[in-house]
Amino acid sequence: MSITLTMPRLSDTMEQGTIIRWNIKEGQEVLSGTIVADIETDKATMEMQAYDDGIVAKILVGEGMQVPVGTPIAMIAEEGEDPQSIASPDGGGEKSAEAMTAAPEPASIEMPIPPVATSDTTAQVAPETTSGGRRKISPVARRLAEEHAIDVSALSGSGPGGRIVKRDVLAAVETAGANVAGAAGDVLPVQMPTVPNVSSQTLVSTTTPMVHHVPALESTEVPVSGMRQTIARRLVESKSTIPHYQVKMRFSMDTLMELRKSLNEKLAAEGVKLSVNDFIVRACALSMAEHPMFNASWAGDRILIHGRVNVGVAISLPEERGGGLVVASIRDANLKSLRMISAESKHLATKARDKGLATEEMSDSTFTISNLGMFGVDDFTAIINPPNSAILACGAALEQPVVRDHQLAVGWEMSATLSLDHRVIDGAMAAKYLGTLKAMIEEPMRLLA
Amino acid sequence: MSSVTDPAPPVTSGGQPLAERTSATPKQLHEWLRQMLLIREFEVRTMQAYQDKKIGGFCHIYIGQEAVAVGCIAAVQHADPVVTAYRDHGHALARGMDPKYCMAEMFGRIGGCAKGKGGSMHMFDKPNNFFGGHGIVGAQTPLGTGLAFAKKYQDEVIDGGVNKHVTLCFLGDGALNQGGFYEAMNLASLFDIPVIFVVENNGYSMGTSIERGTSMSHRIIAKGEGCGLTGYEIDGMDVVNVYEEMKKVADIARAESRPAMVDLRTYRFKGHSMSDPRKYRTRDEEQHWETGDPITRLRDAMIEGGLIDEDGFKALNKDQKIAVREAITWAENSPEPDPSELHTDVYVEKFGPYTGTSQPQIVTDAEESR
Amino acid sequence: MSERIIEFRDALREAMTQEMHRDPRVFLLGEEVAQYDGAYKVSRGMLEEFGPRRVIDTPISESGFAGMAIGAAMLGLRPIVEFMSWSFSLVAADPILNNAPKMLYMSGGQFGCPIVIRGNDGAGGQLGSTHSWCVEGMFSNVPGLKMAIPAFPDDAKGMLATAIRDDDPVFFLESERLLAMKGHVPEGDHYVPFGQAVVRRPGTDVTLVSFGRPVHFCLDAAEELAKEGISCEVIDGRTIRPLDIDTIVQSVRKTNGCVVVDQSWSFGSPGSEVAAQVHAHCFDDLDNHVMRVHSADVPSPYAANLEQEFLPNARRIAEAVRSALYVA
Repeated sequence: MSITLTMPRLSDTMEQGTIIRWNIKEGQEVLSGTIVADIETDKATMEMQAYDDGIVAKILVGEGMQVPVGTPIAMIAEEGEDPQSIASPDGGGEKSAEAMTAAPEPASIEMPIPPVATSDTTAQVAPETTSGGRRKISPVARRLAEEHAIDVSALSGSGPGGRIVKRDVLAAVETAGANVAGAAGDVLPVQMPTVPNVSSQTLVSTTTPMVHHVPALESTEVPVSGMRQTIARRLVESKSTIPHYQVKMRFSMDTLMELRKSLNEKLAAEGVKLSVNDFIVRACALSMAEHPMFNASWAGDRILIHGRVNVGVAISLPEERGGGLVVASIRDANLKSLRMISAESKHLATKARDKGLATEEMSDSTFTISNLGMFGVDDFTAIINPPNSAILACGAALEQPVVRDHQLAVGWEMSATLSLDHRVIDGAMAAKYLGTLKAMIEEPMRLLA
Repeated sequence: MSSVTDPAPPVTSGGQPLAERTSATPKQLHEWLRQMLLIREFEVRTMQAYQDKKIGGFCHIYIGQEAVAVGCIAAVQHADPVVTAYRDHGHALARGMDPKYCMAEMFGRIGGCAKGKGGSMHMFDKPNNFFGGHGIVGAQTPLGTGLAFAKKYQDEVIDGGVNKHVTLCFLGDGALNQGGFYEAMNLASLFDIPVIFVVENNGYSMGTSIERGTSMSHRIIAKGEGCGLTGYEIDGMDVVNVYEEMKKVADIARAESRPAMVDLRTYRFKGHSMSDPRKYRTRDEEQHWETGDPITRLRDAMIEGGLIDEDGFKALNKDQKIAVREAITWAENSPEPDPSELHTDVYVEKFGPYTGTSQPQIVTDAEESR
Repeated sequence: MSERIIEFRDALREAMTQEMHRDPRVFLLGEEVAQYDGAYKVSRGMLEEFGPRRVIDTPISESGFAGMAIGAAMLGLRPIVEFMSWSFSLVAADPILNNAPKMLYMSGGQFGCPIVIRGNDGAGGQLGSTHSWCVEGMFSNVPGLKMAIPAFPDDAKGMLATAIRDDDPVFFLESERLLAMKGHVPEGDHYVPFGQAVVRRPGTDVTLVSFGRPVHFCLDAAEELAKEGISCEVIDGRTIRPLDIDTIVQSVRKTNGCVVVDQSWSFGSPGSEVAAQVHAHCFDDLDNHVMRVHSADVPSPYAANLEQEFLPNARRIAEAVRSALYVA
């Protein structure tokens, strides 16, 4: 009697599996416990083992194919059986094409959808997410989702065939509503290019409402300014098209803080007041000579390495000017002294906040720095400012317990996080760049040269 | 008794001088001749217009039967309701409808008697107490009973007097076989309703001769007698005869408030409709009946009686030709109904798509002339 | 609200006598309406009150007397035709469908037809297929007529009085099963305007729309569903033509659900019309397609249990509601 190997259920939610690799060939002997295949489930790639001894008579489902759990994928001939004589379960040879589908590209693999709590037993039907490529949703559910800005693709439908119905959206609105209520008091300054990753999980969510301490909040609509629309468009484009990743390093700031203090005291009469950020701008700019890929742009089929180093500095705008942020461009920053960088930064920030910047004062940046140190933020990540391929997010220089020479001590530290375009810059390159930067920041006398 | 398809002499009445057989005045006789000439010319031009595609749908020509409509309608009062079937142009004109409204109706124009919504088979003329023009064979017979019932009800129940009206309900011999007709006769008899069912017996229901389609075809008034209606057999090719006989029938019906049934022998010279090749009857039969043309008969009798001469006749005929030409011109110049007319006259009271009514020219003119 | 309680059939009679006293053009005719006092005693005593000229017994001759009444209406009288059952109207199809509703149009506005045709409509009395017709599906298809279908005694009076005063042909559908129903009915003049539906039971989860007797089935179902925590809004449409789609749409916008209950067959029916109009007017307010509960798509059966199952009963309505709310 031949043995049929079927697609195993390798996770609790697995409905389908993809054969990543067969470790056996037809005619090969297998023993119980042999890893016969690697199977990609909805969650991970798992090993599939044989439970019987025998000869592989037929492989029914080829590599790269996706089939539902339970589908026969191979036949094993038992001892004494002629592998040649074994027919596949449906009488045919290879599984017919319509019964299986080519595995989707990894990028398009759907994330498992968390089921929405429901009392409806029919809701246990596996969510059929598409119907002819279109999400099934009742008209009023669609309208409600639009009104409450609920992303229906993240919802599980409890109606027939996985149709999203009113109660599914209302449940999502309720969940989202709880989060919004918790977030309402949590005002962050709008600061490009901060990632709005202060997501619901990090927000206070308490079952005991403390409304009696808080002035009543009002639901209202705010018209979206042109700048807000530009920010929205560009950052969505950036975050959704650039393969971002982050690399972080902590810098010791003791020397720099002391040097800055000393310089500012000496140059106070000249009206010079250097900020920590001025040092960082200069350090980043100078590092480009050694790391030209950080001063570059992805251009589809090429990488453009820029000959000039224009460091963009994110400037938040005051609420009374409508808020938002701009990136001022300090041109040829690698050729400018700390004093010049400081003066230009101050001028651009003041002008941006008072009158607004001219287009040329905001264009052509090749690398961007976002610094939330002045707000006491110690660590964050930023979204790349296209067409840059990197952005540096700096936290505050803070006095921290540090280990120096195997001793616990108090020292100034700053966290710097690079967000990078992986198409241009790989992880090791980022690490090296941060090393260069660290050397400059921690030995700031080099920045004076 | 003569059979239609076994041609009998068409002239079964008359023969004596006009003065001896009618009380009608020369003016009345002139008017009947005029009406018959008008209908004849109107129908000839209708056929022409139909063949020119100016008229659509079904179209039934009255040529040959003119003496029936003219004689019967002359025998009743203007206030007496008249209702008929789909071969209705002759009745409408005999009832006094201006030929231009009749022609414009067939042209599908706003100037038509029903604003172009009825067509050839559905002529209506309220000011002239003409209640249609009904397209379904026999459908008008219960309506005729109802019209007569209503007149009697108004006269007796509402006004508290005695019945003063009769109703003429025309039907073809084809309608003899419809159940509704028997119900209409039965009710009329039961309720003493003064309606006269005038069977225009032209021998054919479409292409089926009366012998092939109707039992007791040699004596159809037996059907009315079965319901208690007095029956009359009348030569329908002689307008004077029709008038004289129908006057008696109408007077009795009015006086006794009783229904009657009349078998009016006539012949349609043309086909059932404009698309009828008339393969079911012989040319000989047609020619036989044409020798008894009702217009010729009246003309000859009037010339014989010195009431008209050849020139007078020609002048009268020419006037009718002019009137019909004017009717055609008027119809052609009448606009098509505004698309908004599609949604009017659906309900008297507004709701839904109903947007009211616009009075047809026929009613507007009647109101102005008051 | 009147404190007086009378039967549905008495309410109908009151409307007729009231209008006959008011207008001498109004008269009643039909089978057994006079000497027999009406097959269902709706016209009891009317012969004595108005005499045989205005309360007229006809032979069994629907085509004849319906056509006769239509001819009389063309001349300005205002007949009330009683069909013992609307099932018998089929032999009068030509006059009531080809003449009454089309006369105004075909005559270019010259001849209207102010007639009321009334009688029992619908299954429920084990009368078998030929005598259990629900004509609303067939006849509501025809433009030019109005169709009224009361479910309560006060509406029976108010709507019939309105029908008699209406200048258009009105098909007035009564239910034999409701004739003995008692209710508060105003004395004196009482007119219910056409085209105004009424909410019989307010609710929040789903809108039930019905006409005539099935309104009661809906109310029963709503009562049952309330025990399950489902809140039904029950709308009594009252007239099918004109259809008060506004009231229905207003309710559906609130509940996001709609179940139409109609005792005629499903194919080309008031129910399908309401469903189509609701989809057209408030598609984006629907959480499910409009569900319909009709009489079963078979000839009306005789056996009592089969007939119960045939009708759009409360159980079938409740099933449809649960399905509409995705809880079935």
